[in-house]
Amino acid sequence: MTTESSCTTPSYNITCRMSHEAAALERLCQVVRVRGFRIAQMAVDSADGALNIALTIQGTRPVAMLQSQLEKLHTVAEVKLAAPVVAAASRIA
Amino acid sequence: MNGAQHILQAFHHHNIETVFGYPGGCIMPLYDALVDDVSVEHVLCRHEQGCALAADGYARASGKLGVCIATSGPGATNLITGVANAYQDSIPMLVITGQVPSALIGTDAFQETDVLGMTLGIVKHSYLIETADELPGILEEAIELAQNGRPGPVWIDIPKDVLLTETTAAPTRATAQPQATSPDLSSAIALLRDARKPLLYSGGGISLAHAEDRFREFTKCSELPAVVTLKGIGNAGKHSAYNLGMLGMHGSRAANRAVDECDLLLVIGARLDDRATGKLDGFAPNARTIHIDADAAEFNKLRNVDIAVRGDLNSILNELTKSLTDAPLAISDWRKQCQTWRTTGGFQAADNEEPLAPITGPAFISQLSRTAPDDTVIACDVGQHQMWVAQHYQFDRPRHHLTSGGLGTMGFGLPAAIGAQFANRNSTVINVTGDGSFMMNAQELATIRRYDLPVKLIIMDNQCLGMVRQQQELFYNNRESHINLDDNPDFVAMARAFDIPALKIDRTDQVRRGIETILAYSGPMLLHVAIAREENVWPIVKPGGSNKEMIDETRRTAADKKEKIA
Repeated sequence: MTTESSCTTPSYNITCRMSHEAAALERLCQVVRVRGFRIAQMAVDSADGALNIALTIQGTRPVAMLQSQLEKLHTVAEVKLAAPVVAAASRIA
Repeated sequence: MNGAQHILQAFHHHNIETVFGYPGGCIMPLYDALVDDVSVEHVLCRHEQGCALAADGYARASGKLGVCIATSGPGATNLITGVANAYQDSIPMLVITGQVPSALIGTDAFQETDVLGMTLGIVKHSYLIETADELPGILEEAIELAQNGRPGPVWIDIPKDVLLTETTAAPTRATAQPQATSPDLSSAIALLRDARKPLLYSGGGISLAHAEDRFREFTKCSELPAVVTLKGIGNAGKHSAYNLGMLGMHGSRAANRAVDECDLLLVIGARLDDRATGKLDGFAPNARTIHIDADAAEFNKLRNVDIAVRGDLNSILNELTKSLTDAPLAISDWRKQCQTWRTTGGFQAADNEEPLAPITGPAFISQLSRTAPDDTVIACDVGQHQMWVAQHYQFDRPRHHLTSGGLGTMGFGLPAAIGAQFANRNSTVINVTGDGSFMMNAQELATIRRYDLPVKLIIMDNQCLGMVRQQQELFYNNRESHINLDDNPDFVAMARAFDIPALKIDRTDQVRRGIETILAYSGPMLLHVAIAREENVWPIVKPGGSNKEMIDETRRTAADKKEKIA
């Protein structure tokens, strides 16, 4: 998934590990959207009943707030936030 | 045992004695199992929204899990407002819906909706059951999940064929939640001791954590001046000397003044929502903040805090009380100041001495508060009457005040009162409602009649959507838009059509007698209270404004006069 975004919107890389249950990805994406972020890139693989998801997201709200909301999801085992992506480099073709 | 029978077995295992539901096609196997199991009391409401809100009221009043059941499609969609209501206020609820048979999912079958997809944002968690073997384990997990940590609704959507399939799968116990280690409170206690003007700010989290008694011990020991949120009303008890009342948009001047001047906010079991804080920039501008809650996601969400403590409120309050027992806080000047504000800036409802004068909302609620028994549960709807209850009824327990705080659901009160009456069979339960809210779930009068519940109904009728009218008057240049309800039905005749006796009052000298009459009656009874259309809730903060900029009736009148002179 790719999208074009404004250079000024902060961008973040998040990895997430969660149970591979019905609507798992929808649940994750819904929280990202409702808490004020857009998904710019998303990669998913599954193994042993778990989903490993790598997200690049953009948004102006504090990303820690999103992280804590994702961690609350019952099926989420772990959320890791990588160092912030430099805003000027966040344009994705 | 088939899937439906496993559900009933789970109810028994968890002492779930009362459930609220409405049958239909895909949930019929569960209703068939209920025929043979009379030990689960199934309450048939008249609309699925009524089921969900009754389950919510049951949970709020009892502290137990609320359970509601519906069929697929419209049954499930009708539940949604009630479930969203429970989600916003963190009410423990189990929702069970039938779904079309597994093979038909995704074929646009009769009464098929994507329940899992459409409810993601209003549940703590949800499941679509794929095989009968997984049902017993998921039931266990869901029942625990709905009640642990920060409670909330958990929804299980079950295809009809799964309900009918025999399974011998055991209900594997849900994974126990790791016990929270005792948080270190030393920094919080040091900050509290350092403060000269500390203020306790508590919310609905106290009763959700079943921490009412520990909270009272702490308030008694600390003698901290305190404010409460709408959902925290009753936390400190009606006799607490330091309670300044509700803060926020319709809060007391005393409470908002104390928040504005305090140098430390000790927030316990509250989420600092916008109706309480007003404009964040102007909220408690001089205060450091300690935030104690069961949900870490609430920390720094709206206000950056100095110290955040996540954990079980019972043990945290116990530790805080211990720390203050031998060395009380030296804040006597601040306490004195807050007492003065409480005297001059609390809620006051003057009784009208003119017997033929129209009834005013605040005076009516004050009289109700003085007359109703101590164990009375008040289930409010949403609007002006809700705020008058919050301001003028003296609650001694948070579970006596049922109100839709987060979602603000008109139509909440009547089904919530039904749920509360099932939870407290011998208590007085009163639904205080408005003429707008009452009509949103009036069909549940039939439920009251069917079960002969002695619920009392009080309609405060101003023949309009009063809270909207008030804001149109104050903030939209008095341009009234679609708030007129002067074609309301005859509420007394309507109640009588459901075989519920009713009477109407419209003068001050009828208030006391009217209240005493409905309270003395052994069964359900409705009191129709006509009040003035123009009456407003005071004080008020403009939505999005700072709590410092409260508008009260006196100021409004003065401003009107000034405008007229100019």
